Amino acid sequence: MTAERALDAGVTATRPEPRRRGRGRVWRRLLHQPASVAAGVILAVLFVIGAIFPKVSHTDPQRVNLSPHWINHPPLLSGWHILGTDQVGRDVLVRSLYGLHTSEQSALLATLIASVVGIVLGSIAGYRGGWVDTLIMRLADMFGVLPAIMLLLIAYTYFYTVTVEEASLIIALYLWIPVARVVRAEMSTLREREFVQAALSLGASDRRIYFRHLLPNGMSTIIVATTTLLGQVIVLEATLEFFGIGVPSQIQPTLGNLIGDAQIGSLTNGLGWWTLVTPAGLLVLILVSVNLLGDGLAEALRPARPR
Amino acid sequence: MANFFLRRLIFGLFAMFVAVSLSFFYFASKFYPLRSQPTSHAYWAWLRGIPTGHSLTRGLLNPHLLPMVGAAFGRTMALLALTLVIIVVIAIPVGCISAATRGSALDLGLRVGTYVAWAVPAFVVAIVFQQGFGRLPLGWGLGWFPGVGWAGSCPGGEGVDISTGVCPAAGHGLTHVGNVIYHLTLPALALALGFIAINARYLRNSLLDTLDAPFITVARGKGLTERAVLMRHGLRNAFVAFVPALVSDIGLIFGGALVVDYVFKLGGMGTLFLALLPYSQDGIVLVDTYALMVLFVFGAAVMITVATLGEAVVALLDPRVRLE
Repeated sequence: MTAERALDAGVTATRPEPRRRGRGRVWRRLLHQPASVAAGVILAVLFVIGAIFPKVSHTDPQRVNLSPHWINHPPLLSGWHILGTDQVGRDVLVRSLYGLHTSEQSALLATLIASVVGIVLGSIAGYRGGWVDTLIMRLADMFGVLPAIMLLLIAYTYFYTVTVEEASLIIALYLWIPVARVVRAEMSTLREREFVQAALSLGASDRRIYFRHLLPNGMSTIIVATTTLLGQVIVLEATLEFFGIGVPSQIQPTLGNLIGDAQIGSLTNGLGWWTLVTPAGLLVLILVSVNLLGDGLAEALRPARPR
Repeated sequence: MANFFLRRLIFGLFAMFVAVSLSFFYFASKFYPLRSQPTSHAYWAWLRGIPTGHSLTRGLLNPHLLPMVGAAFGRTMALLALTLVIIVVIAIPVGCISAATRGSALDLGLRVGTYVAWAVPAFVVAIVFQQGFGRLPLGWGLGWFPGVGWAGSCPGGEGVDISTGVCPAAGHGLTHVGNVIYHLTLPALALALGFIAINARYLRNSLLDTLDAPFITVARGKGLTERAVLMRHGLRNAFVAFVPALVSDIGLIFGGALVVDYVFKLGGMGTLFLALLPYSQDGIVLVDTYALMVLFVFGAAVMITVATLGEAVVALLDPRVRLE
């Protein structure tokens, strides 16, 4: 059964036409999942808002309004300060949307770096095997010796105070590991498959085997791993920012440092729940959507039995 | 198998040594008071002090390291233990109910609930629980449980009983245990929520996989009740996949415990770590590198133990797995 399927996959992979048709099938399967479509739309809308809001709106996230009326004001749901203000009269919605912008920027940057590093190192480890594999995977194991939070906060102290780019780099230099593990596992399985062995015995170069056979066949795994990675990046970035020693919220709000400010504010000076709800709600909405889209992609790329 | 664990232990100790040494070099070269001397000298002095215990017990700024880190470690371990109990006690029934009522509205509701719960980061859950159910000086929540602090300690005056104005006493004996659990309930629930969700989902799926197996058809054919089939045959086999998954999550839960501990000001390893960590732009930043190293040793010990335990559990439960 498995041998048959392996052979089958090998044949489809070496013939271009079925593969192209397969890609159309993936799209159709994805578009037939209402949850994935909804998640995709929500993500797209949030992405566009986060990307253009600071450019098109002439608001300043740091503008304070110290008139007693506007300090720690609950949401009005209409007019000015729709979602309330914080302890110095800054608009919660404006700050949250700027936070969305920053978090989005660093999430995409970190995902890009981490996936490139993870795919390259994972491919080398999986395809080469031997001591290179051992070296790369042992290096990955070394990162597991302390909890992520501890390791990354130590890195934060080096840059304190952290910029968005530095934070992204720090997170990427940690989260390449899950990508590398998945890619390595996929590549080392693919390498043993008949069509790769056939190409090898025909004398194909490593480069040809990798780009012609391994990469196209591993692509669905890579896509799913990258989507999962995006979710992990957002969680980790927000958690680190939450401790308040990352990007300072007085300079650049992120969803994480806004939530951190709201928590400290609520403990020390009775800051209202509305300062928490908007950034936390945006964060949760993004994470649920990313997970839904990731699972939908995994399902569409490699359909499992229906449950 | 013994050979495997020995190799695992040696690699773990090596990794711990490298990590602690690297971080020592980093902190000693960047922050005072150790910055005033050559880093290699500071490192050598610290290394020499390990066999005598000097480096591990007397900090640069804190006089008694082991009681300080030990207390924090104990609190984090208590949080971790209670969290694991809660996960097991809630995730198993939820997973079973979801699998037993596959396709029903209840199953759908549980699946949506667990899906969302897993997506929400632990620190957000912790804040929501703290605000919603915790007793806080300026809070608006339901106030069912203490919002911050450990039994008998109110950090910064927070956690003081609003009605009486005093910090609740820790008590003795069973009262003390009860108080500790009372203070740990909210943090443990907050930390557990995501892992309940993921493990219930995981259990549901592995149960459904098991229920498709031929021996289940045989069990049904023997005339067993659906309940007996599920409990005696399904669950026992689904555990082979469930227990290792839970054990390998402990490392992640430990990381989450640091965050939750910081949110609830429990005075565990997360709070201590943040307190010891230097973050300031000023010229002279003092950091107790010795204390941080002890904290890292404790943290690394947990992570290495958990990683090894995860693989041991797989091997013990599933005779098909051989450790090499």
